[in-house]
Amino acid sequence: MLSPRNRLLLLTFAVPVVLTGLAGCGAVPRADRPAAVESRGSEVPPPPPEPTGGQTQISAYTPPAAPRYARPAPARAVKVLQQRADDQQRAGEYANASASLERALRIAPDDPALWHQLAGVRLEERRYAMATELAEKSNSLADPADRALRRANWGLIAKAREALGDSAGAREARRFAANP
Amino acid sequence: MATKKKRRKTGISTKKRRRHVRRHWGRWLGVGGVLLTLVIGAYALHLSKTVRVKFEGKRWAVPAQIYARPLELFVGAPISADQLEAELRFLGYRHVGEVFAPGQWSRKSGRFVVHTRPFSFWDGPQPPAVVSIDLDRTGVARMRNRDSGRALDLYRLEPGIVGSIYPAHREDRVLVQRADLPDHLVKGLLAVEDRRFFDHAGVDLRGIARALRANLAAGKAVQGGSTLTQQLVKNFLLSPERSLTRKFNEALMALIVESRYDKDEILEAYANEIFLGQDGERAIHGFGLGAYFYFNRPLTELELHETALLVGLVKGASFYNPRRHPQRALDRRNLVIDQMERQGMIEAAEASAARSADLGVTARGAAHSHRVPAFVDLVRRQLRRDYREEDLTSEGLRIFSTLDPWIQRRAEESVRGRLQRLERDRNLPANSLQAALVVASAQQAEIQALVGGRDNRFAGFNRALDAIRPIGSLVKPAVYLAALTQPGRFTLSTRIEDAPVDLSLPNGQRWRPRNYDRELHGIVALHDALARSLNLATVHLGLAVGLDGVIDQLQALGVAREVPAYPSLLLGALSLSPLEVTQLYQGLASGGFHSPLRAIREVLDAEQTPLQRYPLTVRKAADPGAVFLLTRNLVEVVERGTGAGLTRFLPNDLKVAGKTGTTNDLRDSWFAGYAADRVAVVWVGRDDNASTGLTGATGALPVWGELMASIDSTPLRLNPPAGVAYQWIDAAGRLAADHCQGAVAYPFIVGSEPSERSDCIEQRGLGGFFRGLFD
Repeated sequence: MLSPRNRLLLLTFAVPVVLTGLAGCGAVPRADRPAAVESRGSEVPPPPPEPTGGQTQISAYTPPAAPRYARPAPARAVKVLQQRADDQQRAGEYANASASLERALRIAPDDPALWHQLAGVRLEERRYAMATELAEKSNSLADPADRALRRANWGLIAKAREALGDSAGAREARRFAANP
Repeated sequence: MATKKKRRKTGISTKKRRRHVRRHWGRWLGVGGVLLTLVIGAYALHLSKTVRVKFEGKRWAVPAQIYARPLELFVGAPISADQLEAELRFLGYRHVGEVFAPGQWSRKSGRFVVHTRPFSFWDGPQPPAVVSIDLDRTGVARMRNRDSGRALDLYRLEPGIVGSIYPAHREDRVLVQRADLPDHLVKGLLAVEDRRFFDHAGVDLRGIARALRANLAAGKAVQGGSTLTQQLVKNFLLSPERSLTRKFNEALMALIVESRYDKDEILEAYANEIFLGQDGERAIHGFGLGAYFYFNRPLTELELHETALLVGLVKGASFYNPRRHPQRALDRRNLVIDQMERQGMIEAAEASAARSADLGVTARGAAHSHRVPAFVDLVRRQLRRDYREEDLTSEGLRIFSTLDPWIQRRAEESVRGRLQRLERDRNLPANSLQAALVVASAQQAEIQALVGGRDNRFAGFNRALDAIRPIGSLVKPAVYLAALTQPGRFTLSTRIEDAPVDLSLPNGQRWRPRNYDRELHGIVALHDALARSLNLATVHLGLAVGLDGVIDQLQALGVAREVPAYPSLLLGALSLSPLEVTQLYQGLASGGFHSPLRAIREVLDAEQTPLQRYPLTVRKAADPGAVFLLTRNLVEVVERGTGAGLTRFLPNDLKVAGKTGTTNDLRDSWFAGYAADRVAVVWVGRDDNASTGLTGATGALPVWGELMASIDSTPLRLNPPAGVAYQWIDAAGRLAADHCQGAVAYPFIVGSEPSERSDCIEQRGLGGFFRGLFD
């Protein structure tokens, strides 16, 4: 396992990649129901970590050794929320994860990485149609030079289409992913 | 038990009678006594059942409370000191020199220190903290938790309450528990209302005797002998008529209540039931809401002189109304303090300090102005899809809404101020104009402000939701978007004809629309036709695209009403509410992704259990490339087209897109537009649908401009998405270069650029690639 610090760094640098990887795990095809409302049942969430604390020692962002395009670093507040959403997603708390991401989106509504991450949550929830829409939204906001993010979005769309039984659509998405 | 009390009571009466009756009546009396005992017993049993039902069932219908959005503080947040102060005042935080308790804040130039209250959010509780916030000219520069000394990246202030959904009898209350009742509140209550509360069994004979003596001595009723329990029973269980039977019932039920419930339970019930004031049609019940209504603070934060005032109001909330009769209220409050002192409940020094304090009641406006009935109306309608009305009015739900009180206030001011000015400047009758305004976040479609009329304080006709008016030229962007979605046929530089239109309609009539200036403009560029809102060119374009294509585009963007398939649709023969227009433009503002407008984020039940979340959803409603071209065109509208009047209002660096709308005979004046982060729609018109003499540019536009100038919005950046590139175009619509005279860069879907080249290119060659030019 990675140390929490390393995990955080990895996430900071490669949110799209990590999420796309995650998205592949255990996705069983199932009819996607567009739910307008998320029900939490009676489960009370554990108190969130105080939004201060240990999350302030995030290392300064240094662009990864990716060629040419360097995605602008998000505000620290956004990073904190992305990290929290990731933890919540790992714990299977999808409603909380999306709440954290929506909170981040209120701070940075046109950050395509956030839309991608939200798409990843929906994919893992098996809400495939919504995952596809969100990934397309991410693509529409992505800098044309941000090939890594576009590739990740198309990869995610391919998985969602596959899960929906649309293999032709999935093939097409994979083709875009190969050449974003 | 009830029977025990009853026996005691009947025992007393038989004893009395026995003294006065002769022995041979004894047997009959014995039989009568038994019968009476049985009758009263049965009756007591019946009352006992009533008490149990009322007391142990749902005691109160607790209205759903609607919260504004929490103010999110983070490093870089564009929040001004004014805005932060306004928020803290809205939350009822007190400005002090040094903070020492929750609910207080201090400020030394750019540094705010806020001692926050604990609050349960959807995702869990947030403990109180002392947070220091450093503001500079651009917003939050630094934040620190003063207890831990750690830097804070983000922090949510608790959200304020903007309304409640109360039931038909209009009782509003905020439930409190026994433990929430400040000690001095309970003492004060006992001191003036029921000294022996903890000793009596529901009815206080000594209290009655004392009241009787006092009233006889004074020659009028100065004291009541009712115990708190009797008062509770009276308010809680019985009808308001005054009669001996009622008095008897009241006493009997008080005894029953006391036998079944302990003093703390009765006190808690009393504290939640008591009537403390009237706010228009809303009845203020309980000390919990009373604290907010009079002091805009939670009950637990009130001081002695404040709780003493609330206690004083028990005797007559209207007679001692501190806002209407401050002297009377002050006297009454001080009498409560006197009584507490005389009975040894408080020290003399404490009492005199409390007596010398101001009433401290907030102006009615302060508490009242944060209520937004028009928005609450929308929240209620959205909730009705998922909840039964009775649950909304009784289950104490906590509704976390999307309302931004800062933007809401600016929106109300813009509407009020501008309509007054319009009437004055144009010699229109005062108060003849009406308006509606909706503001939503562009990408997440959260409604940030909603104005239903010029007096938004009062619930009434909610024009934002219910004024269904023809939208006029506001429909045109959908026509142009439908065209631009076919890049093989239409681009921004496509030439279209602004020529007469003469069509026969299915009803046999002929349709001959004209341009607003009644001129014909010949061959014009597509972008120019939209910028100048040319009717005839638009009709020709729309017919070339096909009505079906336009209707499909409108429906994809979220128009749910039936759209009439007549050519007049192309000029706005479609009636929508301002909210529906906002939905339509949200799809454009978000780059072609439709998201249903939301007023609610989350719902929690009274025990803070999360019930529901209304998540962000998106659906692609148009090609993002085509929407980008349209947005560029709508920027042109406000830079040099029909919306150019906006330049008077907006700072130079705030690039926005927008469209004016005017309907026949100047009945409706519309403006819809967006910045990068926000979409807003304004309608101005008259309730009687008469002509206002206003166009979109003269009526709604100034309201929109004033609002957008007063709130912080992110300018459009116009960075083309993938598949779109800028090209220089000359006046004739040919491909040009940056050195060509009069050439303007327009975005094109890659591959749809004009092939014909301007003469100047042949001389000096083609310019470069223009992406990033408009950063």
